Amino acid sequence: MKQKIGVYICQCGSNISDYVDVDKVLDSVKDLEGVSLVKITMFSCSDSTQNEMVDDIKNEDLDGLVVASCSPKLHLPTFRNVAIRGGLNPYNYVQVNIREQGSWAHSDNPKKATEKAIQLVKAGIERTKYSNALEKTVIPSEKAVAVIGAGIAGMKAAIELADMGLSVYLIEKDFFVGGRITQWEDLCTVEELASDTVTRLYDEVKSKDNLTLFLGATAENMSGSVGNFKLTINIRPRYIKSDFNKDKIEELTGKCKTLTPNEFDFGLTKRKIVFKTYPGALPDIPVVDIKNAGDDINIINEFKDHLDLDRKDESITVDIGSVILATGSDPYTPKVGELGYKEIDNVVTFQEFKRIIELSPNGKLKYNGKDIKSVGYIYCVGSCQAEGNMYCSRFCCTCAISTSLSINKRFEKIRFYHVYKHIRTYGKQEVLYDQAGRQGDIFFKFDEDEEPVVSMVDGEGTITFNDLLTDGEEISVSPDLIVLVTGMVPRDDYKRVAEVFKAPIGRDKFFNEAHPKLRPVETVIDGIMIAGASQGPKSISESTKSALSAASKADALLHKGEIELEPTLAMIDTSLCEGSGLCIQACPFNAITMIDAGGKKLAQVEKSACKGCGWCLAVCPHDAIELAGYTNNEMEGMIESLITV
Amino acid sequence: MEPTTTNIEKQTAAGVDVTTYDALVIGGGIGGEEAALNLANMGYSVIMVEKDYSIGGKMVHLSKVFPTLDCSACITTPKMSETIRHPNIEILTYSEVRGIEKDGKIFNTSIVKKPRYVIEADCTGCQLCEQACPVVVQDQYQYDLVGRKAAYIPFSVAAPRVAAIDIENCTLCGACERVCPPNCIDFTMKEEVIDVIVKSVIIASGFELFDAKKIPQYGFGKYKNVIHAMQMERQLVPTRPYNTVLRPKDGKMPDNIAYVLCTGSRDKTIGNPICSQVCCMYSIKQAQLIMGALPMADVTIYYMDIRAYGKGFHEFYIQTKNMGVEFVKGKIAKIDEKDDGDLVLHYEDIENGGAPKTATYDMVVLAVGVLPQNNIPELFKNEVLELDEFNYVKQTDKLVNPGMTTIDGVFVAGTSSGPMDIPDTILSAGSASAETASYLRRL
Ligand SMILES: Cc1cc2nc3c(=O)[nH]c(=O)nc-3n(C[C@H](O)[C@H](O)[C@H](O)COP(=O)(O)OP(=O)(O)OC[C@H]3O[C@@H](n4cnc5c(N)ncnc54)[C@H](O)[C@@H]3O)c2cc1C
Ligand code: SF4
Ligand code: SF4
Ligand code: SF4
Repeated sequence: MKQKIGVYICQCGSNISDYVDVDKVLDSVKDLEGVSLVKITMFSCSDSTQNEMVDDIKNEDLDGLVVASCSPKLHLPTFRNVAIRGGLNPYNYVQVNIREQGSWAHSDNPKKATEKAIQLVKAGIERTKYSNALEKTVIPSEKAVAVIGAGIAGMKAAIELADMGLSVYLIEKDFFVGGRITQWEDLCTVEELASDTVTRLYDEVKSKDNLTLFLGATAENMSGSVGNFKLTINIRPRYIKSDFNKDKIEELTGKCKTLTPNEFDFGLTKRKIVFKTYPGALPDIPVVDIKNAGDDINIINEFKDHLDLDRKDESITVDIGSVILATGSDPYTPKVGELGYKEIDNVVTFQEFKRIIELSPNGKLKYNGKDIKSVGYIYCVGSCQAEGNMYCSRFCCTCAISTSLSINKRFEKIRFYHVYKHIRTYGKQEVLYDQAGRQGDIFFKFDEDEEPVVSMVDGEGTITFNDLLTDGEEISVSPDLIVLVTGMVPRDDYKRVAEVFKAPIGRDKFFNEAHPKLRPVETVIDGIMIAGASQGPKSISESTKSALSAASKADALLHKGEIELEPTLAMIDTSLCEGSGLCIQACPFNAITMIDAGGKKLAQVEKSACKGCGWCLAVCPHDAIELAGYTNNEMEGMIESLITV
Repeated sequence: MEPTTTNIEKQTAAGVDVTTYDALVIGGGIGGEEAALNLANMGYSVIMVEKDYSIGGKMVHLSKVFPTLDCSACITTPKMSETIRHPNIEILTYSEVRGIEKDGKIFNTSIVKKPRYVIEADCTGCQLCEQACPVVVQDQYQYDLVGRKAAYIPFSVAAPRVAAIDIENCTLCGACERVCPPNCIDFTMKEEVIDVIVKSVIIASGFELFDAKKIPQYGFGKYKNVIHAMQMERQLVPTRPYNTVLRPKDGKMPDNIAYVLCTGSRDKTIGNPICSQVCCMYSIKQAQLIMGALPMADVTIYYMDIRAYGKGFHEFYIQTKNMGVEFVKGKIAKIDEKDDGDLVLHYEDIENGGAPKTATYDMVVLAVGVLPQNNIPELFKNEVLELDEFNYVKQTDKLVNPGMTTIDGVFVAGTSSGPMDIPDTILSAGSASAETASYLRRL
């Protein structure tokens, strides 16, 4: 039992001391058995206080440490390190949360907040008394990473990881790389074309020996834990051999007749069933869409010597240490009738508009065969909603405005009406907003709570709204094309991906980061990182930055080739174990097996699989299992002190 | 080149005893810390040069951060501490890079460590010198809201927490020297030049605040109750000097406060046409904090557009609106002071016909924008570090290699490349560190 415990009560500036009477807490615990020192600190986490604690541990020969401060989520590692620096085992440190569970939760009742803090600190001291020194286990880890999604973020992360010397599996659901940006081609805020960017990245991807690209591939299942995951990938057949005869495939394509809507153009065009999403798509190998072949199946069979028709779905498993999710986002699809979408002919989404631009002949912007001379944008469609998608999609203002500028370099003068809720051309992008005004674009602002109406007026699609910039006057405009500036939403299969990787999802349904300020690419699941727009709307450059950040976190985790496991694992007391096997059923991680020890059946815990969740101890009828760091003695000590006032 | 996996590699280059580091990080704000820590955790050795007495940059002086309202000091001090104690990171505070010369694959770097007149290794941070010193001047770390001594610990969570002597204001009375227990005050301390070799450079020197005096019609510096946003941050920090929000002129608790957004941003007349990206959100954050500190006070935010673009920002803005903070779309033409110190705002009420109107407030906060630190190119003696049209470090391949600059081996992180908030700074620093690591690998 620990006899010389040091207790530090943090004011957290005033975050705690505004509501918790820290002097009173000090008085209530200073004479407790086992406590040899109590101090009040301004910011326990500051470097100087950390140094002071280190000195105290050494000079006072402390054998246990308690810091009553904030949530362990924030500072458990900080103070465990203090313990280590002082020469104490980090598991003889206990953090007591008197901020999130004290001052902040009970700011309406300082007296009770103080009482609660006292109880919690006492319990923490009790737990420290019974705490045991524990050692982390070091296990070898895979120097390999799986990157899910080969859009710009995924490709960039993969290239960088390969450069850092790790093995990389880049797993793309589609049969072509590049993700969304290939659909936009003309990129906002830069001169570069998306196809050039994608070609650059694809060439780099191909040049790395330690990078394997899987196309038509989806992650199906993952087991294990950080450092040692096993990931099963399903690879769908492309039905065209990689060493295909170009002429023959062209001949085949020419003969095919069946047409299906081209997803790449949001159904604005049709494609054959032997196809590439767009002419420059990479890799330069078409795909056969057998499912939609219809009558073309006969033609396909004619060419079967040049195809790979017998190929089935293939399943492979890779060993990896970490995962970067870079699955990107979908454009928001308005409901039928939402602002005239799919009901009024000349209403399209911004993403469709980008395709219309690319599909238009030189010099003339055309839609449905008609010349487009004027465009009306309605902003924030599917974003900044009062209910539903409350978030701002971040990229759309800038991209819409940037497009209104670049379009006028390509086509005859087109007039733009911007009907906006907000204009968020943050940062340097602001100058685009200014340029659009100078180019003669007209801006209108509608009220946050009063969406515009799109209807047919005299046979023309018309936007009607009250314009706040002219004293709320009702205004109607009937441009040739009405473009709904639609934002980003998570990929339609985000739930499935989240399930495979146990990735947390936020309120906005994007993947959720471990800390929105300081840990934007990590998740609370060790080893699972998130990059690009899968974490939330982002521009290309912002996506690249997050991809690179994720790569550096993955490298920091894996470059040593070994990983430390928390020692808070289930421990079986073999003298009490009767081999009931109930624990095996209870364990969600399959970490327990039954062994035969000289005729006696005994449960055994596989350290690398155990997560310390504690399910097994709850079901053991013989109380033969304890959780290191949370032993019965520690827990009972805490409960005892909590119930004695 | 493989990373050095242990502590700082004391290499001897060409027979001269000069320490070699994998990377030099200029600036110890949140951007510099993140970049240095990433590299250090990947096994590279780093030297960080910070011109101030402490690392931490602007973030350590903020109150709480949007949109999570985490206490800024609480989340940044661990990063500072981690940086200070990482075995692969060496830090020189109160130091400046004097010159960087590229020589093949390395950069010969000369750093000047300025005298703080206190021996860093011996100072225990006991603050006895501070108590003894008779000189009181304005405290720059509290943005002049309160005073400090000439011998002082920069601020409570400074890292390193070591005293310094402000020699300009010091009267050389010797009081501090007499009381200092470890005897670490040394008035003979001189500038020290330290030469090192680095293989790569990360610029993370951050931003500067717009000087509100440059818009004389707002009266900053003349009207006491017109303060800038950083001063409001200091009034709202957990260790707030007044323990509440007060207006400077008479110490009265303000009943109504106005925010003037875009002060020094989106304004060609003062030479800064771009949006500062953080001031809308920090003002909204401060408005929420003021409502907590002064439940009876009214807050009005005068804006051009609300840039609530990041994750959780728009939701935070709507929440603030619902809490009763008033948002008025209008540009402030000028501010007048009344005899009692109240302030009259003249503005154009855009959403109500654009009529010129006036409104009176107890206190006005100018949401000052951010500006680039444009003295960085001077550090490079034989290469040209280009700036972009707004004087931020130019990113030469923004889409694919966002940290890349015009000099091979020199990368940019955080607000040195443009205005950004903390998460974007973290991402930018993360990317600069990854790019640096793969550059080092390729060397
Ligand atoms: C009033 C205000 C409130 C804000 N509130 C928030 C908020 O709530 N949430 C949020 O996300 N963001 C907020 N921000 C933005 C936030 O401050 C920045 O995003 C962040 O500080 C940027 O970090 P940085 O490291 O790039 O720069 P800095 O913090 O400026 O750090 C740069 C460091 O480099 C040092 N340095 C400079 N030049 C040199 C040189 N030549 N040699 C050596 N060292 C040098 C500086 O001393 C400094 O320590 C706010 C900004 C302001 C002005
Ligand atoms: S970026 Fe602009 S259009 Fe897009 S959601 Fe945000 S405010 Fe609306
Ligand atoms: S010598 Fe200078 S710093 Fe020291 S006490 Fe006197 S005035 Fe202050
Ligand atoms: S962030 Fe807001 S206050 Fe700051 S410059 Fe941009 S629009 Fe103006």
